[in-house]
Amino acid sequence: MTIEFRDVHASYDAATPILRGVDFTVEDGEFVAFVGTNGAGKSTTMRLINGLLKPEQGEVLVDGVPTTQLKTSELARRVGFLFQNPDSQICCGTVREELLFGFRALGCLDEQAEARVDAVIDEFGFNPDDDPFLLNRGTRQLLALASIVVLDTPVVVLDEPTTGLDYRECVKVMSIISRLHQSGTTVIMVCHDMEVVGDFAERVIVMSAGQVVAQGPTFDVLRDRATLEAASLVPPQIVDISMALGMMRPALASTPLAAANTLDQMCDAVAAAVGATYSGVRGLEEAR
Amino acid sequence: MNGFLEYVPGDSLLHRLNPVAKLVFAVLFAIACFCTGNLAFLCVMLAAGIGMAVSCGMMRQTLGLMKAVAVFSIILAVLLILTTPTGDKLVDLPWGYIGTGSLLAAFTTIVRLEAAAIPLFLTFYVTKVTDLSNSVVKVLHVPYKYAFTFASTVHFIPVFMNDMKGIMEAQTARGVEFDQGGIVNKVRLMVPLCVPLLVSSVRKTNSAAIAAEVRGFNLRTRESGYKQYPMRGADIAVVVIAIALLATAICLTALL
Repeated sequence: MTIEFRDVHASYDAATPILRGVDFTVEDGEFVAFVGTNGAGKSTTMRLINGLLKPEQGEVLVDGVPTTQLKTSELARRVGFLFQNPDSQICCGTVREELLFGFRALGCLDEQAEARVDAVIDEFGFNPDDDPFLLNRGTRQLLALASIVVLDTPVVVLDEPTTGLDYRECVKVMSIISRLHQSGTTVIMVCHDMEVVGDFAERVIVMSAGQVVAQGPTFDVLRDRATLEAASLVPPQIVDISMALGMMRPALASTPLAAANTLDQMCDAVAAAVGATYSGVRGLEEAR
Repeated sequence: MNGFLEYVPGDSLLHRLNPVAKLVFAVLFAIACFCTGNLAFLCVMLAAGIGMAVSCGMMRQTLGLMKAVAVFSIILAVLLILTTPTGDKLVDLPWGYIGTGSLLAAFTTIVRLEAAAIPLFLTFYVTKVTDLSNSVVKVLHVPYKYAFTFASTVHFIPVFMNDMKGIMEAQTARGVEFDQGGIVNKVRLMVPLCVPLLVSSVRKTNSAAIAAEVRGFNLRTRESGYKQYPMRGADIAVVVIAIALLATAICLTALL
């Protein structure tokens, strides 16, 4: 399912424009991350995708159909939306009820839906009778994500899914999102954590002051220091180190050291530079 | 954009008045409206309220308030029409009749509620809540705990309204259709959302209470505030006008 923005202008009140001519396309099955400072217009862009906000000018097309022609409930069948705060989303007395809520709202609660809910409960490792409001922050965020995953929409929009989570919870949430993407779902994610963006996104769209200032394959954008600085962003640490190496030592500029984007690539490059071989973190531990 | 009951900065006479004078005026004005059933007097009071709103540039907010009060007062008016058989008979009902007196009583109720509400709400739009609570502590010697409770309540109204909006949006994104099926369906769909609102309200108020406590809330006394709220000529004049309005309302009720 393709999402297309054509010269979109949007605001919450006429006096303060938020988006000023946004253009981009997210192709079917892509994993796209939106980055930018607070107030850049990322969350507003997400709200336009699922019809919570309609464009003042321009068009937002979901699978070729303008969102202005679709009710939000119709869009909910196509686009799942994970809010930044899980407490906005959770409203039922048990985990199972919470996961059934979406099917009930869309009027498609049947045996198939019940089976799907049971499968998701198993997949996420929930206790179906737990009270969602008594779960910890990370588990509530997982439950909110599960309530989107269970509906099996072709597109999921995630507004800062890892905010407020510890490392383990963050890894769990992102591995679920990654599995979702591998199964063919289009993932659109707003994220401030550039390490997460580097690890998971295929393409990055940089927003600043209500406009798209850069877009392209993840590491092409993350290695564009001028664009990132203009948007007040910093690249992931490994990218930063490898770029710094290339700049400090011109002789290294064309070596794998200056082109490493991930920890593994950097370790490979360092190992090759010292005449050793690197076989991942486990290999290092065994060697030690 | 300012939300419900949120202070709107300005430099009008109402903005500059002492917060206590504004509060006393608004309360006495409202009491005066409830002391009399004289429709002409209530119409004058309503016109005065609208005049005040115009003078401080709050007509948009006042119209919004009047719309909300109208909904509530129309419900009351309908009840009055159906249950107050007075005046010349217009329509027969199985339990009585609707008379000219019933219609007059209903109309009076609408005008009274609208007139009484305007200055009370305007007080919040032209006064910072902190000034309002600090001034009642300084001038009226109200214990700070009560003033803070009041200020927090007012402060949390737009916060909770915003929370409710967020919760409704989240459910809309999951396919709930709040705009379908009329008011009954909307209420049916909104009732379950009271749970997350309640949970988030309790969490927020608990956090606010702890934050206040760790910053020495209990050490605060009347002398802690450095800002003074002296009553000037205009403030005293406003209080005198309010007393005069109340006296007029009482006299009208007693004499007519």
